[in-house]
Amino acid sequence: MRILDIIKISQSNLFRAKLRTFLTVAAVFIGALTLSLTNGLGSGIKDYVNEQIGNVGAKDTLIVRAKQEINPTSEEVRKYDPNRKTGGNFNMALLGSNDIEKIKEIPGVVQVTPQYSVRLEYVFTDVDQYEASATQYIEGLTLAMLAGTTVQSDSTDTVTIPDKYVTPLGFNSPEDAVGKFLMIAFKDAAGKITLKHLMIVGVQKQSLLGNSGLNISGALAKEISLMQTSPIPGMTDSYQGATAKYNPSFSATQITDLKQRLDQAGYSSQTIEEQIGTIGTVINTILIVLNVFGAITLLAATFGIVNTLLMSVNERTSEIGLMKALGAKRTTIFSIFALEAASIGFWGALLGVGVSMGIGSIVSNIATQTFLKSFVGFQLVSFPIVTSLAVLFGIIALAFIAGALPSLKASKLDPIKALRYE
Amino acid sequence: MKTIIQATNITRTYESAGEDTPALKEVTLSINQGESLAIVGKSGSGKSTLMHILATLDKPSGGELVIDGKHTHALSSSEFDNLRNKKFGFVFQQFFLNARNTCLENVILPLNIMGMSPSERNKRGRAMLEVVGLAAQEKQRAGELSGGQKQRLCIARALITKPEVIFADEPTGNLDSENGEHIISLLFKLQKEEGITLVIVTHDTDIASLCDRSITIKDGQIIKTL
Repeated sequence: MRILDIIKISQSNLFRAKLRTFLTVAAVFIGALTLSLTNGLGSGIKDYVNEQIGNVGAKDTLIVRAKQEINPTSEEVRKYDPNRKTGGNFNMALLGSNDIEKIKEIPGVVQVTPQYSVRLEYVFTDVDQYEASATQYIEGLTLAMLAGTTVQSDSTDTVTIPDKYVTPLGFNSPEDAVGKFLMIAFKDAAGKITLKHLMIVGVQKQSLLGNSGLNISGALAKEISLMQTSPIPGMTDSYQGATAKYNPSFSATQITDLKQRLDQAGYSSQTIEEQIGTIGTVINTILIVLNVFGAITLLAATFGIVNTLLMSVNERTSEIGLMKALGAKRTTIFSIFALEAASIGFWGALLGVGVSMGIGSIVSNIATQTFLKSFVGFQLVSFPIVTSLAVLFGIIALAFIAGALPSLKASKLDPIKALRYE
Repeated sequence: MKTIIQATNITRTYESAGEDTPALKEVTLSINQGESLAIVGKSGSGKSTLMHILATLDKPSGGELVIDGKHTHALSSSEFDNLRNKKFGFVFQQFFLNARNTCLENVILPLNIMGMSPSERNKRGRAMLEVVGLAAQEKQRAGELSGGQKQRLCIARALITKPEVIFADEPTGNLDSENGEHIISLLFKLQKEEGITLVIVTHDTDIASLCDRSITIKDGQIIKTL
């Protein structure tokens, strides 16, 4: 039989039981929609993360932290060790100046800069005071600057602000803010508010790097941190972490080796790419869970296809018997039914992927105009053609497999039994 | 005269509840090209089983079947399919028409299975409908036809591949006597015109008497040859 005739017969079979076909297609549609939407969301986020990693700069920098050994939910109670530095709510392991020296001596490390943590009370330019946080700018990091530049590492009187502070602080535009002055207020160790006068040298865009706070130089961070901790014994030389620069010509394996050496010395380390990647990994994990739901829906739809096909085969027993009696080959009969199953998959998947693209672009547009406004170039949902085609053909293949059993049953029908009437 | 089907010592047993029930016992029969043969018998006599085996719809449990000089043991399943598609035509008591399809679509089904191009098969289909007097019903659905028209459509379908043998299993079983007579005369007329071999399974001795030869089956054995 000609392929075109096989297609024609299988399509007309689909139209024979319209409601049944519709319901089965609807089940596949829901699965395809879920899968395609979560994939779209996943690739949208991944694209953005990759773009961020590509633009991040500071290629030769590792962020080093003390290995965290305490699990806050653990039942274990640890013996006190006076040499171990801890702090924060969960007694996080911190780095001290002895650690900085130790890291410096690890082969491959060129330069180590402590990362100071600073706690601000508020910032102001005029009467209104605003809450703010400050982070130490990592040397070499590429920030998306709307105006001006990043801070110099040795300057203790400059700052860059995120764009959301531009209007509240009374500036007309990011450009307007550059060169103007900003007052920051923080508490010293004794709890006394101290003010400091800084010049705004740049305005940065918000991104996955978390630039939602002010960026200050290492020198300024050190100055403030010392004021906030100096009289507290044991806290003066504690750091949340440090950045370690390595030879920029290092290969990926050399970086891995270096990280291993740091690990053996008791430090965990990440490149900045990895740190951004971690955010991506968390999001990916959530998306995998959503994808599993999509897959379960599809699995349920698969049983629907099997059921539909079995009913179709039963209804058409004598028709199949006749065709076999008239010389139709087993492969022909198999193809007719398998194609019927694949068509259910095709229509369900096509509608699912199509509708998800529609929903995706609407959601993306809303998102970029609202909660993702400050994330430039973030397309929340994106549909690469390859992924969409993979979903489409994957579902068709799944439907085909689901249809294989009933199709095989049809192809094996004994024409005598199918036509029996004596 | 050329022998088209030669069956020698054909047996067929069915297994049911662990016991072998014989349906055919050592049946030997030869069918000549162009003749008409009636297989007569009561219900359960084994006449349909014999026809199914002769038409290769069923496989014998023992014995030898030679069709057109070829031993059927040696044939593959696709060769069987080709044989039934090209050399045999079938007319069934219960018609087995696709009620939703048009008369033309029904009549060209064997050509469709053969893989003939749509234009060619439609041309032959229309010509065949003309022969059986259903040209006006070409686009009508088969389900809307009367019983006699349905069986005429079946005859058209059986003849469309220009087969060598037509197997007709109780072709008038579902028809009133007037329509039955029309069908039988049409069948014999076309058989003679085209020189086709006709094998009719029937319990009607009147139909059997119209055939060149008739055999009577009882309890799986030929008890009478005329």
